[in-house]
Amino acid sequence: MKVVIFSTCVVDLEFPNVGKAMVEVLERFGCDCYLPSDQICCGQPTYNSGYEKGTQRTFRNQVDALLSVESDYIVGPAGSCVAMLREYPELLKDDPEYLGKARILAAKTYEFSQFLWRILGVENAGAELNGKATYHRSCHMTRLLGEAESPYALLEHVKGLEMVPLANAHDCCGFGGTFSAKEPEISKQMVDEKVRHIEETGAEILVSCDPGCLMNIGGRFNRLGKPIKIMHLAEVLNSNVDERRITYLKQMPV
Amino acid sequence: MAIYNREAFLDHLSEKLGTPRHQKDKEPFTHINQLPEETLADLSADELLEMARNTSEALKVTFKVTSKADLGGVLDAYLTDKGDGQLILPTAPDKIKAYGLDDWTAAASNQRTVKYWDPKADRATNLATAQDSAMAIGFGDYMLAESGTITVPSSPGQGRAFNFLPTHYLCIVKRSNILPRSTQATKLYAQRLKSGELKTSNINYISGPSNSGDIEMVLIVGVHGPLDMTYIVVDDM
Amino acid sequence: MGIATSDKPLLARVKESEQDKFMQASVAKAQDAQHTKREDSRALLGNWEEWRELGEQIRQRAIAYLPDYLEEFSNNVDKNGGDVFFADTEADAVDYIQKIVKETGAKKLVKSKSMVTTEIDMDKQLLALNKGLALMETDLAEFILQKDNWDEPTHIVFPTLHKNRDQVREIFMKLGYEGDNDPEHLARFARKYLREYFLQADLGVTGCNFAVADTGMINLVTNEGNADLTMAIPKTQIVVMGMERIVPTMADAEVLDNLLCRSAVGQKLTSYVTFAGQQVAGETDGPENFHVVIVDNRRSEALGTQFQSILQCIRCGACINVCPVYRHIGGHGYGSIYPGPIGAVLSPILGGYEKFGELPYASSLCGACTETCPVKIPLHKLLIQHRMVYTDRLKMQGGLNNFMMEVIGIGTGFPFLFRSAIRFGRPGLRTMAHKTDRLTALNFIKDEPLVDKGPGLVGGWADVRDLPIPPKHKESFRSWFADHKQQQKLAQAQKDNSSDK
Repeated sequence: MKVVIFSTCVVDLEFPNVGKAMVEVLERFGCDCYLPSDQICCGQPTYNSGYEKGTQRTFRNQVDALLSVESDYIVGPAGSCVAMLREYPELLKDDPEYLGKARILAAKTYEFSQFLWRILGVENAGAELNGKATYHRSCHMTRLLGEAESPYALLEHVKGLEMVPLANAHDCCGFGGTFSAKEPEISKQMVDEKVRHIEETGAEILVSCDPGCLMNIGGRFNRLGKPIKIMHLAEVLNSNVDERRITYLKQMPV
Repeated sequence: MAIYNREAFLDHLSEKLGTPRHQKDKEPFTHINQLPEETLADLSADELLEMARNTSEALKVTFKVTSKADLGGVLDAYLTDKGDGQLILPTAPDKIKAYGLDDWTAAASNQRTVKYWDPKADRATNLATAQDSAMAIGFGDYMLAESGTITVPSSPGQGRAFNFLPTHYLCIVKRSNILPRSTQATKLYAQRLKSGELKTSNINYISGPSNSGDIEMVLIVGVHGPLDMTYIVVDDM
Repeated sequence: MGIATSDKPLLARVKESEQDKFMQASVAKAQDAQHTKREDSRALLGNWEEWRELGEQIRQRAIAYLPDYLEEFSNNVDKNGGDVFFADTEADAVDYIQKIVKETGAKKLVKSKSMVTTEIDMDKQLLALNKGLALMETDLAEFILQKDNWDEPTHIVFPTLHKNRDQVREIFMKLGYEGDNDPEHLARFARKYLREYFLQADLGVTGCNFAVADTGMINLVTNEGNADLTMAIPKTQIVVMGMERIVPTMADAEVLDNLLCRSAVGQKLTSYVTFAGQQVAGETDGPENFHVVIVDNRRSEALGTQFQSILQCIRCGACINVCPVYRHIGGHGYGSIYPGPIGAVLSPILGGYEKFGELPYASSLCGACTETCPVKIPLHKLLIQHRMVYTDRLKMQGGLNNFMMEVIGIGTGFPFLFRSAIRFGRPGLRTMAHKTDRLTALNFIKDEPLVDKGPGLVGGWADVRDLPIPPKHKESFRSWFADHKQQQKLAQAQKDNSSDK
């Protein structure tokens, strides 16, 4: 199975470990991975800031880059960015040259955990991680991409990992892309509440499927001098893997 | 009476919308689904009664089922329970007769002051009567099982304030008029208004006593309207 | 003052809100309590997504044929014996209401809760114009605000969410209250105080949840009973409604009432859901004179634009109750009587970008509003649409942040520029980084200098959080991937070689 890696600009710039872990996990499950070098960014930073025209080039570049390699699927490590690619047909609806391509792109793009669980049917990825963890569900992955199950399902089977539910999991962590930098006074109060809820779980590890949120929450933890270990789900699923533990779902999720 | 500044106003809206006026009847409107009609539509009469009881009691309503023969006794017990004070009744001879309450009303006035919302009196008199009444016993049209609601259209004999000014309020409804939801009641009212069978300026759907959460979101039962609410369902009607 | 509740800039309001710990705690508590009530009541109804679709369809229909339905409604009010005034502006609306006050010689006005009367600033204008007029807000919350020297509401459903029981007690003590701070005792006092006033009232002013086109009646959804008293006791009633409050039939109103009650307060139906209009022959209470004032006041600016769907709003406040920004900055933080996501979309339309153009940026675009809206208004997308108007067309922003966004736009549009960013991001951010001894967010922060201050957006980020400088180029994901592929190729070649032998 040929899989194009949609690396996302945040992983390219700040989270090399997330990209590595994702590729290693995907290869373990038989994916032949490609990383088209012209890809950049889904376009959210400028589009969501109101630079509609200025983002059209970013969209088109991303479409061309990710479709430059023939593939069965496109997989990315960020729920928010993947949700954005899924919106490309709407965002490029007035561009006859790109609309068709955008539809092809959107139809085969998946977020990492979603791909693993829903497409590959992985139940137990074979990982082991000793510790107590909580999961931060990102707003865009849950609400825009509509994926609220796959990370929880996969985390449930990690050996040694105790998952603790996070209070007010539905509340935003205050990242919001450029919002975090443009409205720091508001964003700070939001992330502080998230930090408090995470602390209250007693978890040592914070897991998420969105590097943007991790960058925000992790950065705030560090500024406050509070201990936490930040992990993307791919890193968790790539921990101490024993392939004998791998199991597949008997019934595919609907 | 009169309509002011309409044409220029609506022309402006039409221009903004980019569509000409007087188009709606060319494209009839039907709901994309029938959920309002379908929801709870399959409940039996017994299930409707049980649901009505549960939802009403959840709203702190006193809910009683009685027979036509026992209705007077139930009302007496209610009045005794609420203590002294004036009672207001609707001027609704047909209903009082239908519920077999002719003798009861006569007897009640020997126990306490009983006054009527009087179609022949003026506004001030009826408002004063309702305000001075500790209890109101009125008639409702329908009961809605889903929401613990009674519906009451205003009439010359049971005006709007009848339902709001007295401190304690009791409403009598026929068991056969328990409906699943507000959908069925609204449909009936729309038909009855359209046909002219019902002439009213006001239809109340009342679900429990008045309440408010305006101070620190603490639920307070009894604000402007009645402080408590009793529903009597007459089983054999 | 219209919809504005403050002259201060957003940042100043946010800082004030941050100081108001009681407000923040009560908003959080209210949001969490409402979350449970709302979601439970929707779950109990079942098929919530299909109900939303129906709600959306009804509202879209009403707005698409707005002139037709308003015409039908006004014809029916007229036929029933009432009057209808179409008001283009808030001044027109107040002028007409003032005319009725004069004509009827009203001395005591009672009001039930209505956002649009707050929007047109009716109360204070009428009081200024009529020396002999007494005016009373009778909704418990609005009464509290009025008696607190016209404090501004902070929520469209719970206007006094920012006040605690001690504050309410203090306000009531000025009116003669002598009891404790128990909410029930406070409410009983208000009941008695307002009841006396009610009985003398000669003019009632109400809002309108929905106006029913085919009957000429209005539909009000309330809990306290004051709106019904306002429609029962005075001889004259004035209904003030935003022009978009219209629905085709009672059946449509009934569907929306069900969505509204669940979304606003988690009830199946509120205590009082009323359809009411002009008194009919034989009735002794209710309005002999029934006036409806239909207000545009810039709502039509949204018609036929990307913002048209905002007129679908049924004012349930659910978007406010789920908003993580509202949770912290509260109603006063928005500086508009319409706060939260609905306010951030509506306020720039009604009040202009000059005053409210920054509100659409006060959102993390988390989409909780869009997800909860019972009539499916894509609120977070409308916020982005506002940002587009603000930046692309009005060009009001400028400055360093604008420059940086333009740079990001270019940087994310050309692959060679982005590859340079990966290569030079580290030395670039290194110039803004400092050595610290903070190293508590493991697997993220490395033992390297951290970016903790900087210009523009970098500074905005770094004021709150630490940012590691990007990895060395050879340690980036892309470099790793290239090596990884190279090694795979080598391994494959070796394998092929050995199998050839």
